[in-house]
Amino acid sequence: MRIYDIAFYIAGFFILGVLAASSGLNFIIIIMATILMAAIFLFIGYLRKIPRIFWLTGLCLFIIIGAFYYFWWNSYQIKNLNIIFDEKINFQGLVVKNPEQGNQQKLVVTFQPPYSGKVLIKLRSYPSFDYGDLINFEGIIKRPDSQSYAAYLAKDSIFGIVDYPKTELIAKNQGSVIKSQLFKLKEKLISNFQKTLSAEKSAFLAGITLGERTEFSQEFKEAMAKSGTTHLVALSGYNITIIVLVIAAFFSRFLSRKITFVLTILAIFGFVLMTGAEASVVRAAIMGFIALLASQVSRLYSIRNAIVLAAFFMVLVNPRVLYFDVGFQLSFAALLGIVYLGPAIQKFFRIKEEGGFLGWRKNFLTTTSAQLAVAPLLIINFNQFSLTALIANILILEVIPPTMFLGFLLGAMGFFSTALAIILSWFINLFLVYELTLINVFAKISLPITKIGISGIIIYYLIMVGFIVYNYRNVKS
Amino acid sequence: MLSPNRLILIMIFLVVFDFFIWGLILFEPVNKNLQVYFLDVGQGDSELVILPNGPKVLIDGGPNNKVINELASVLRPTDRYIDLILLSHPQTDHFTGLIDVLKRYQVGVFIFNGRSGTVDSWSKLIKVIKENKIPAVVLAAGDKIHYLNSQFNFLLPDKNFIESTDLNETTLVSLLQSQNSKILFTGDIDAKIEDYLIRKYDLDIDVLKVSHHGSKFSSGEKFLSNISPKIAVIEVGKNSYGHPTKEVLKNLASVGAQIFRTDKDGTIKLLINNQGISIFKKK
Repeated sequence: MRIYDIAFYIAGFFILGVLAASSGLNFIIIIMATILMAAIFLFIGYLRKIPRIFWLTGLCLFIIIGAFYYFWWNSYQIKNLNIIFDEKINFQGLVVKNPEQGNQQKLVVTFQPPYSGKVLIKLRSYPSFDYGDLINFEGIIKRPDSQSYAAYLAKDSIFGIVDYPKTELIAKNQGSVIKSQLFKLKEKLISNFQKTLSAEKSAFLAGITLGERTEFSQEFKEAMAKSGTTHLVALSGYNITIIVLVIAAFFSRFLSRKITFVLTILAIFGFVLMTGAEASVVRAAIMGFIALLASQVSRLYSIRNAIVLAAFFMVLVNPRVLYFDVGFQLSFAALLGIVYLGPAIQKFFRIKEEGGFLGWRKNFLTTTSAQLAVAPLLIINFNQFSLTALIANILILEVIPPTMFLGFLLGAMGFFSTALAIILSWFINLFLVYELTLINVFAKISLPITKIGISGIIIYYLIMVGFIVYNYRNVKS
Repeated sequence: MLSPNRLILIMIFLVVFDFFIWGLILFEPVNKNLQVYFLDVGQGDSELVILPNGPKVLIDGGPNNKVINELASVLRPTDRYIDLILLSHPQTDHFTGLIDVLKRYQVGVFIFNGRSGTVDSWSKLIKVIKENKIPAVVLAAGDKIHYLNSQFNFLLPDKNFIESTDLNETTLVSLLQSQNSKILFTGDIDAKIEDYLIRKYDLDIDVLKVSHHGSKFSSGEKFLSNISPKIAVIEVGKNSYGHPTKEVLKNLASVGAQIFRTDKDGTIKLLINNQGISIFKKK
């Protein structure tokens, strides 16, 4: 077995172990199941005399390591927790994430000694706090109301909520200097959007370029959910690609390949930090990094390994994302759909290679395969999957890349001249009007599917995998 | 270098843009009317005045960023400039929305009564004004702003009230005269200030921005009969004070004023020219 195959199976089995553990299975059961699986591999390997299968027998160990890692990580988190619940206390906390502003502020703070752990704090809009503020609070720490909300917060190691405590600022700028500068840059970019575009449009543009969602009105959020376009404002490979293209195109003119590479990597890293490191953008950043690295050291880029390694690193940093972070699941499901289901559909329906006008065929394939791959996840998590979403997405995604590109340009232009930025904003306005109109129209003509059982999901994905395998076989023969 | 598809796209784009620009130049309506919008911002005040020939004056910004959506529905999307912002007095239901306005629009001048607010968000407002380098001007009784045939006369506060501990008494009261009509913006003044106002000035107005969201401590009978408004607009939203109160509604009715309120009518638009006043309600 080759080294890249070994890496693939190690990462894959590790992830499988974490998945088994986080789905609530007992450690003993996981060990037993793994041993059984290893035995089956051994048996098949012995029958067929394929060394590859023998290798798999040994690598099964990583399922157990993955499961163990998950249990260890969890107990480590809880051991380091010191929170007093349901009692009015005084405590100091450091704001560790860029606060969500809006008609209400949401701060994520880590306790200062004697307490430890993280809580979510809800406050009125003013006084407004920033990342890196050290604040004295007086309030009651409560546990999250519902189990699903608790799981959602626990994914980020947040175990308590404080509603409207008394606050007193102790010190500013106690966080990382780089992060606080990046957050300021993001704020400035968004303010450049706001200065040149109307509220709804600037909010949407901030969403698709920087993943910022706090300015969305409730009606707009619902319109996106109903029309099946919410994913537009989750950061993705698009954003990373545009950054890579722009940075590389700019610097490679007068700098060496190596330095351009380093600068591009730094830019990606900065972007991920700036946008709060949500799962989809971290995934895209890791894969972008692997792709760039491959071309830098002149190695082949294997998409299969890149996907699994990205998932592996993310699970290593936080094993809870695999089971509890819907964004993580959607991001990987969509990508797997594009990479594997897309070509299968293309072969099956004999769709031409050429893109067609504005590359609509390619967009159609990408969108269709991504949507089909995430549909069950959307239905079970959000009760939202509209049959018309496919058309909406094909029509909208066509213009998202230029909108994004112009958006970044607008943000940059705002630093030099508001007047020039305003002229540029007229162009973006055209795109934004088109996109927002479609979102609102398709919200009205949505054909929602809301129910699908666990067995439905399994059957759905089995059919999908079968379809993919069938089409690949056909190609080989 | 460019594929035919791209070229087509760029051409379409340029043609559309060209039409757009010429459209802006040729069909820009030169507005000869006075427009006054009483914006529906909930429990708070915000009025947008568009003078004949175009200058925009925003009086107060309401208690939250609702004003942004209201402005967006009135102004063209490409219109990112507000000439003047007038803050009547530094209370949160009048200035909080201005923080977002100042962040999102270019503003010519910020005008206020010189008093500082006592709440946390006031420092945020000052910070935004400084960051965007917007000139701030303090005006008081006796000051005027002219534009062609329109003018704002500032009636209050004078030296008797500017240092009042009750910020409502420091309200920058303004009288707009334009297109043969008179509109009085009263902020949050109470009956004491109202009586002082009619002792000091001889007022006969057409439109009244009813003081303090229809509070029972304002809009006294004597004051109303003295200024005899034909139209009275109450800027009010959901609240626990009982605004607008029965007394105020009764007083306004008894002087024959046509009453409009933003909680029931939504944003109210007055279109005023020499022929008279037309009224449009959003709801």
